[in-house]
Amino acid sequence: MKKFSVQSSTFKTAACFMLSLFTIYFSLFTDASAMLTAKANHDHITIDFFYHGSTVSVRGLSEPGTDLVIKIASPEGHQLLKQKGKVGGMLWMNVGQLKFENTPNFYEIFSTKKVEDILSNDEMEKHVIGFSALAKHVEITPVANEEEKAKWFDEFVKFKQDSKVYASSFGEIKTSMNANGKLEYYILTEWPYQAQPGDYLVTVYAVKDHKVVEQATSQVNVAQVGMVKSLAGMAKDMPAVYGFLSIGVALGAGFGVSMVFRKGGGSH
Amino acid sequence: MYLYLPVALTSINILIPVGLGLAVGLLSGLFGVGGGFLLTPLLIMFGIPSTVAAATDSNQIVAASTSGTYAHWKVGNVDFKMGLYLLVGGFLGGIVGVQAIKLLHAMGNADFVIKITYILMLGIVGVYMFIESLQSMKKKTDSVEQENDEKESVVGRFLKSLPLQTRFEKSGITHSVFVPIVLGMFVGVLAAIMGVGGGFLMVPIMVYMLRMPMHVVVGTSLFQILFTCIEVTFLQAYTNHSVDFILAVLLLLGSTVGAQIGAVFGRKLKAEQLKILLAGIVLAVTVKIVFEITLTPALLLSQVGGH
Repeated sequence: MKKFSVQSSTFKTAACFMLSLFTIYFSLFTDASAMLTAKANHDHITIDFFYHGSTVSVRGLSEPGTDLVIKIASPEGHQLLKQKGKVGGMLWMNVGQLKFENTPNFYEIFSTKKVEDILSNDEMEKHVIGFSALAKHVEITPVANEEEKAKWFDEFVKFKQDSKVYASSFGEIKTSMNANGKLEYYILTEWPYQAQPGDYLVTVYAVKDHKVVEQATSQVNVAQVGMVKSLAGMAKDMPAVYGFLSIGVALGAGFGVSMVFRKGGGSH
Repeated sequence: MYLYLPVALTSINILIPVGLGLAVGLLSGLFGVGGGFLLTPLLIMFGIPSTVAAATDSNQIVAASTSGTYAHWKVGNVDFKMGLYLLVGGFLGGIVGVQAIKLLHAMGNADFVIKITYILMLGIVGVYMFIESLQSMKKKTDSVEQENDEKESVVGRFLKSLPLQTRFEKSGITHSVFVPIVLGMFVGVLAAIMGVGGGFLMVPIMVYMLRMPMHVVVGTSLFQILFTCIEVTFLQAYTNHSVDFILAVLLLLGSTVGAQIGAVFGRKLKAEQLKILLAGIVLAVTVKIVFEITLTPALLLSQVGGH
């Protein structure tokens, strides 16, 4: 019985301790989760004939003393690219194809400070933040070893940066303290026209002591509308009609211009 | 002003495709080439995916060659009979070429063969045309004609011994029907391997091997290219969904007008002048490709599809 009471006493002490811990943890957690907010403005981008990219702004509130990382990425998938190499030691040719798995087609990182300075490697890898973390997350085939994988990942990032769909920068997020003592953040970023239609996830990470302490998400949707959508759909769903239409218009334009030149005296 | 291209999935300043179309259309009307060997790499340079660039180029060539053929036909510079025989040969050659390229892809060295074929064909054609037209311009007309007659007598006896001889009135020549069909096949095979219309190969073949007058060559070549590109456009749209209608319209706005201007200018130039200009362009493209494959590229990865 005594033994039980000791056990019971120990149990009560442990229970009280655990309860205190949970209370502290939940008070912190609920406070924090209510704190970090993320809202992407202009979150539905429509692609019409005159579309030449757009802008997306992300704003929200965070706990004072935190750094922020904003990641905008498309869903992960695999990408097949042609690989150039030297043939006969002097001629650059396409020598094969490389498959990049677990890669988003679009990946942009913005942070208040350099990502490597505010996050530990483990945290970067866990949340796939930064090119070095993405490099470990990606699978590339066929490559002989890690050195070759690193080389081709660098080339992959160069290729994507050239197409304006991969970027990483710091210092562009504007922050200020509001009247309630909360940290307000805001970034306005150019949305490249090269980004394909689809859904993009905006994730904001609040960072403290080299760790992600909180995260919030928002979405950006990019969709074709009107004639752009109709033509893109027709090219895929009715390829024969689309083919005939393309040929018909080309023939008509060719004859039409000939007639204009004939009337105008261009042809004699 | 920018326009969004629904199949290429990119936006482009409309002055770029219209300007490129005008320039390539001008070459088309002047020399009877489709200009794919120039336009496709330029479109890729301006951010158009390679598959879309190649397919859409074919689409705009339909317009440019219609415009050019019409302009040349109006002044009697299209040999339809010769064009049809070359088309038959080109069609058969295309089938053989597509099989050859499939085999090369399976063997894994398609890119090497394509690039080397490009350089060799462009280089040989360019150098030969350049030297020949330079000599023609320097020498007196009568001595050139005499020399040509001597050359014809060597090859001519063999060609005249072939069966099914027929007269091509418009060109003022007589050949066996097998000659244009076989030569058309040769161009068709190479064009399929290289992924181009083959105008820059067809023009020298018509000038130097079929001995057609240069101005008829240009019109007839455009007529032949028109049908080849109709077929290619349909196949690209149907199988690869890679024809961008809006891009094609922008390109043809320039190319149809360019082809008319080219045809007008072409009539004011002498045959040798036309040949030496075309040779210069072909050689410039050859040099560009040689640089491309010898200098370290800025990017070692590229999209799958196209060349």
